[in-house]
Amino acid sequence: MAKKDNPGDASRRERAAAIRAAQARKQRTITLTIGSVTAVIVIVLGLIVAKSLQNAPKADPSQTSGLASATVVNALANVSDSDFDTVGVGSASNGPKKISGGTAMTADGKPRILYVGSEYCPYCAAERWGLVVALDRFGSFTNLGQTASSSTDVDPNTNTLAFHGAKYTSKYLSFTGYEQQNRDQSKTIDTLSKDDQAIFNKLDTGGSIPFIDIGGIYVGSGASYDPGILKGMTHDQIAKAISDTSSDVSKGIIGTANLFTAAICGATGGMPSNVCTSAGVTAAAAQLG
Amino acid sequence: MVLRAPRWAAPVSLVLTVIGLGISIYLTYEHYTSSKTLACSDNGKINCLKVTTSSYSKIFGVIPVSDLGLVFFVAMAALCLPAMWRSQNPLIAQIRLGGCLVGLASAMYLISVEIFGVDAICLWCTGVHVVTFLLFITVMLAGAFAQPEDA
Repeated sequence: MAKKDNPGDASRRERAAAIRAAQARKQRTITLTIGSVTAVIVIVLGLIVAKSLQNAPKADPSQTSGLASATVVNALANVSDSDFDTVGVGSASNGPKKISGGTAMTADGKPRILYVGSEYCPYCAAERWGLVVALDRFGSFTNLGQTASSSTDVDPNTNTLAFHGAKYTSKYLSFTGYEQQNRDQSKTIDTLSKDDQAIFNKLDTGGSIPFIDIGGIYVGSGASYDPGILKGMTHDQIAKAISDTSSDVSKGIIGTANLFTAAICGATGGMPSNVCTSAGVTAAAAQLG
Repeated sequence: MVLRAPRWAAPVSLVLTVIGLGISIYLTYEHYTSSKTLACSDNGKINCLKVTTSSYSKIFGVIPVSDLGLVFFVAMAALCLPAMWRSQNPLIAQIRLGGCLVGLASAMYLISVEIFGVDAICLWCTGVHVVTFLLFITVMLAGAFAQPEDA
């Protein structure tokens, strides 16, 4: 004769089963928690390690200095008219501003462009590309240098050009470029003349660089686009990307070049007319402050 | 028979969500005031301003990430109230855990953006990520140590 369970036994068995289930669930959940925590920590550490490997020097730093290659120089000097017009202002902003009560600054009877920057400065690194492209529409450079911004500042190791030792020839303009300090700020490269220091002090009371005085009529300060878009690119890659008008590099550099060109045209009295009346420059002129 | 969360679950999770809510309110305020008073380094690798004003600071270029953080912690604070922990509705616990998983996944995405996209770390954002991580652990362990009891 089978033994009949009383209600108390059933309840105890049910409770014991629930406790066993709870213990099993507890064990599973703790294991899952430990696994999840471990996975999160491993992923974060993995991201940090990947980043540090990405930042590891890829080339001898000395290779970033010296003269710009012929490929780069030619690419900057031969941006097509259609590319200038297609990009217009592009992604550039913070263009040169009109100097209130400014007086014409000339040299050899031509409007003078004064640039003050430093090799370590990431914003100068971005701005030089656009400035050189603009100046190449009015003349040409020889001995144009190349370098990279500081490895420890924001937007580190941004590849760029350098004006120290460069010579600019133009029938429309005169150009003076100062690179005050080298990449790691360990030495002074160029020292401003007394007159140029006075101009710099007067128009850039905060001493921020890059500083660009365009014929005493316009003044530019800071970067016109995000230096971060040049991140990880070699000089050759940047120069090549300029001709791809859909690229961020092209929109930043050509946009900046058009803004500078528009301001320079204000100093040259609209000469040369084919440059100063082009669609890209006309669009940029409307953006000048 | 229902599962009752341990007593420490409500106060611990609520404190964490309040901390996360406080930081989120601060970041949202800074977002809408141009981050001019953001108490954080603004140069080098630790650069809150660079992170909070980067193009990644808005989802689809429209919705500020700080707003999403605020919404997340408001919702989690509600889900971590003592009354919600006492609730016998299993859906509440599932939504709470799901919310933590969404928060944790978002935090992992934002960390990768800081490291690879912006190349800078925002300490306030890191605070939010740590709180989200601790909240996830709390909710998981609360589930593990829940005890069965008669309804």
